[in-house]
Amino acid sequence: MDAPNQTDSLHPLEIQVLRALGSAATEALKDPEIVQATTLAPSQISMAVGWLLTKQFVHLVSETTTTLVALTEVGTQFQQVASPPEWILQTAQKTSLDGQATTVKDLQATGEFQPSELSRAFGLLKKEGAISLGAGGSLQTTGKKSPSVEALRSLLNQIHEGSQPLKSFSEEHQALLRQYAVKRGNTQEPFRIDDHTVRAFSLTPEGRNLLPNLREDAAQEISQLTPELLKDGSWRNCTFRKYSIHLRPPRLAVGRRHAYREFLDTVKTKLTSMGFQEMRGELVETEFWDMDALFMPQFHPARAIHDVYFVKEPTHAKRIPEPFLSQVAETHKNGGTTGSKGWQYSYDPERAKRLVLRSQGTAVSARTLATNPPVPSKFFSIARCFRYDQVDATHATDFFQVEGIVLGSDINFRTLLGLLKLFATEMAQAKEIRFLPAYFPFTEPSVEMHVRHPKLGWMELGGAGLFRSEVTVPLGVTVPVIAWGLGLDRMAMVALGIQDIRDLFTSDLEAVRNMRRDL
Amino acid sequence: MPTISIFQKDFSQLVGQSSSMADIEQWLPLVKGEVKDFTQETGEIRVELQDTNRPDLWCVEGIARQIRSVLTGGQTPYPFFSTRGRAKRRIQVMQGMETVRPFVAACASLGFSMSEEGLAQCIQTQEKLADSFGRNRETVSIGLYRLPSITFPVTYGLVQPDEIRFTPLGFEEKMTPHEVLTLHPKGLEYGNILTGCERLPLLWDTNGQVLSFPPIINSRELGEVQIGDTDLLVEVTGTDLSMVILALNIFASNLADRGATIEPIDVIYPYETPMGKTIKTPLDMGNGQRVSLEAIEQALGMPLGAKAIQTALVAYGYQAKATRQSVSVQLPGFRYDLMHVMDVAEDVAITRGYDSFSPIMPQTFTVGALSELEQTSDRLRDLLVGFGFQEMFSNILSSRQEFVERMRIAETEHEALVEVDNVMSLNYACLRPSILPCLLRVEALSPRVFYPHLLFEIGEVAQVDLEADVGSRTLLSLAAISAHPGANFSEMHSYLDLLMYYMIWSYDLLPVSHPSFLDGRVGGIRCGDQMVGYIGEFHPEVLEAWQIDMPTSGFEFEVTAPKT
Repeated sequence: MDAPNQTDSLHPLEIQVLRALGSAATEALKDPEIVQATTLAPSQISMAVGWLLTKQFVHLVSETTTTLVALTEVGTQFQQVASPPEWILQTAQKTSLDGQATTVKDLQATGEFQPSELSRAFGLLKKEGAISLGAGGSLQTTGKKSPSVEALRSLLNQIHEGSQPLKSFSEEHQALLRQYAVKRGNTQEPFRIDDHTVRAFSLTPEGRNLLPNLREDAAQEISQLTPELLKDGSWRNCTFRKYSIHLRPPRLAVGRRHAYREFLDTVKTKLTSMGFQEMRGELVETEFWDMDALFMPQFHPARAIHDVYFVKEPTHAKRIPEPFLSQVAETHKNGGTTGSKGWQYSYDPERAKRLVLRSQGTAVSARTLATNPPVPSKFFSIARCFRYDQVDATHATDFFQVEGIVLGSDINFRTLLGLLKLFATEMAQAKEIRFLPAYFPFTEPSVEMHVRHPKLGWMELGGAGLFRSEVTVPLGVTVPVIAWGLGLDRMAMVALGIQDIRDLFTSDLEAVRNMRRDL
Repeated sequence: MPTISIFQKDFSQLVGQSSSMADIEQWLPLVKGEVKDFTQETGEIRVELQDTNRPDLWCVEGIARQIRSVLTGGQTPYPFFSTRGRAKRRIQVMQGMETVRPFVAACASLGFSMSEEGLAQCIQTQEKLADSFGRNRETVSIGLYRLPSITFPVTYGLVQPDEIRFTPLGFEEKMTPHEVLTLHPKGLEYGNILTGCERLPLLWDTNGQVLSFPPIINSRELGEVQIGDTDLLVEVTGTDLSMVILALNIFASNLADRGATIEPIDVIYPYETPMGKTIKTPLDMGNGQRVSLEAIEQALGMPLGAKAIQTALVAYGYQAKATRQSVSVQLPGFRYDLMHVMDVAEDVAITRGYDSFSPIMPQTFTVGALSELEQTSDRLRDLLVGFGFQEMFSNILSSRQEFVERMRIAETEHEALVEVDNVMSLNYACLRPSILPCLLRVEALSPRVFYPHLLFEIGEVAQVDLEADVGSRTLLSLAAISAHPGANFSEMHSYLDLLMYYMIWSYDLLPVSHPSFLDGRVGGIRCGDQMVGYIGEFHPEVLEAWQIDMPTSGFEFEVTAPKT
């Protein structure tokens, strides 16, 4: 790249900074010196220097950080009028001269300062013995001087001249300044202590090479085309400054779908494209639909207090619809009309009404079975479920389950495997699949599907099976039914580049904005 | 799902052939097991067993037995299930037990010298059966004793809490059952099982020596089995007869697999039981059925034929005899999980291997569709994304503090919540009644994130409704907020108005009052004649409660599918 070309794309601010550095008497200039040598504001200079550093036309020679004390707006006011302790002393003196009594309450009533400021100031003055309380709580000056008030006054006056290095003050004064400096949570303080960094820059050889070619008319260049320039055609007489197109663009806050929800959107699109109809259910379920209807006996260990969230109030549903309650009850007791011998225990219809937070998406399928669904048909739901688990990187209290059912007179174990194979290709782009025996209380035979995901390797993709007759028959379904569930969270987490399941639902806006899907 | 430890060498011996890890991983599907962990140095394998209905598989002996059976094409039934006549030893049950802990089963195990490995596995099985299968000893608990020190018959009866003294395991001094309940760690752990019993269960022999205080603790004198002991008494007590007998059957089979000779014991009851007044245990509970071949073939989608089905079932350990239409099957004595023909069908599939069934791709045509509600939800999401809003997705279980107190609605008509009874943490104690608190939580956590913040979420909320069957209703709700120095009512009103325009929903705003919003800067959103939500500028007290330093306004309304 030759020098003239490079100068074309220089911003007018950059040109001013280059000139200042080029014509300086010293090799390097500190940023305040650049401010003096140009007509630019410090923020403009820091922007221009930033650009020049990336282009390697200037380099950083030194960097020194000083801690400076300055007055805040509150401080300027204290300096011009009085700080709270000073004001109390003055007021107390004045009123006692006038022969009147002033109480702390009177001071508060003036509204000059916040009650908290006043009580702090009053505490200080009492501690230093400059003031005492007389009869009826009246303030009395003791004639003793308050060292803090005096120190504050001198500091206010001194710093009013301009900010000063913290180190230039005595130890005691430094402590006092810190005590009265703005902190997080308390902005009503007179001093501000900030680290102030002064950086010195000089031209690199490349930067020095640019100097002869810097444009004189840079300031007259057009940076933004305006409607006016277009309307009157005057743009023809202008030169357009060339941009440095490799600089990082400014940030935008834009509208976007949530990345995990978008992942679930692709899942529901896939499922509808495969002929599945969406089902929806309730967050609060009865144990009947959540478990009994799924042939989980009422003594099943997964129904204990440590596995399911129970609802506090009301504790029980008003009713369970018939004939389902009686039919399910019979099935649990002795198999009913299902050809099963059942669980052989005494079923408790009251327990069936106990309300829980839905613990498995299969509850939604159970309810659908009881609606006399058409044959053949396919259903899915993406259901929010709840588990009584300690929350950690792999367990969330609420999460989504993707599950569903397929009804058909042609359904059998092999069509079940066929459906799972279809899921493997559609959902995980997997060609290699393994089917393993599995156990679910509501299906028999049951199968677990492991697939070789192109990026994740072997993983469990889901569980499925043929609903037991003990599930379907009591709900009025006589054809075979496939029940399936997919475990997609791990795939989602890899696609979104997150390691902790809690991050799927994070409330950190930066993380949500940065999340993107790679798969 | 139980997880147990097995040891590679012990397993190889039991399965009858040396077994590499690859072999074991290949065989485990036969028992619905999965390797969780393997320690090379010790040969310890942690195995998780899925089938909560097959307690016989929760031990190395059972896993090895099932695999051995399939590898060798079947197994002969254990002889101790079919001994005839009266047993040599007897347990007499006393009147009164029927109301406390009615059932007991027991057998003698002879000639197997207890190895360190064997004892460890026995204890593991004892624990798994009592904890997982026996519901923490409530329905089933198991004891092992040194047989030679016991003089039969043994009595299973009730004693007064302080009537008798014995030395419990883990203690040096003698205690009464009452003292065990109040002082012994096991008494404190399991004592609740006997709550309300005036007299307590005890097993003692003819010489008055105490065997144990079931289901709490064994006596030290008779009930401390040691390495090298060859003759044992195994006893199971509990509240469910078939579970008690099954647990004993499993234990007896395990000891037999290790080389012991099992001798049954007669249990004599003074009261009727579902299996009579005298029960010789172990007992094959005759879990047999005749099932239709067609049902199996239809379920599996393959015309396997009678012979193949019979072969598969025999290999899996059944006694099976197929005719043309049906097969009569009988489970081995250590299983009691046959409820339906589908259970048999699955065992056929497992024996033959799931991979031997070729998948049939779905053939029937069905129309796929999203629910009306989801379609509406998606339209709203598209619009709001177009308006420049970032979609959020929150957990919906949180605290009363977030949903009520910070929203300034405590002690108002708005404060009702669906709450959890068995709270684990106050942070996950309530279902969200609205989404706005979830979005304010985002604001509270993101003060340094590039502004403006335009956020929305559409999702389920639960609102208390005592008219509803389950006391609450799950609704779809849409909430949106704007947070930046100039955020105000009119900005959100513009977005709401545009949203309603594109959805072709007519609405109007009613001047209302809501504690979460500034008075005079809040509106009730009415669609048709329904009040569906609120729009407003958040009250500074709400923002302070969330420690949000940025003006924030928002709206939320219930979304329903268009009426068709």
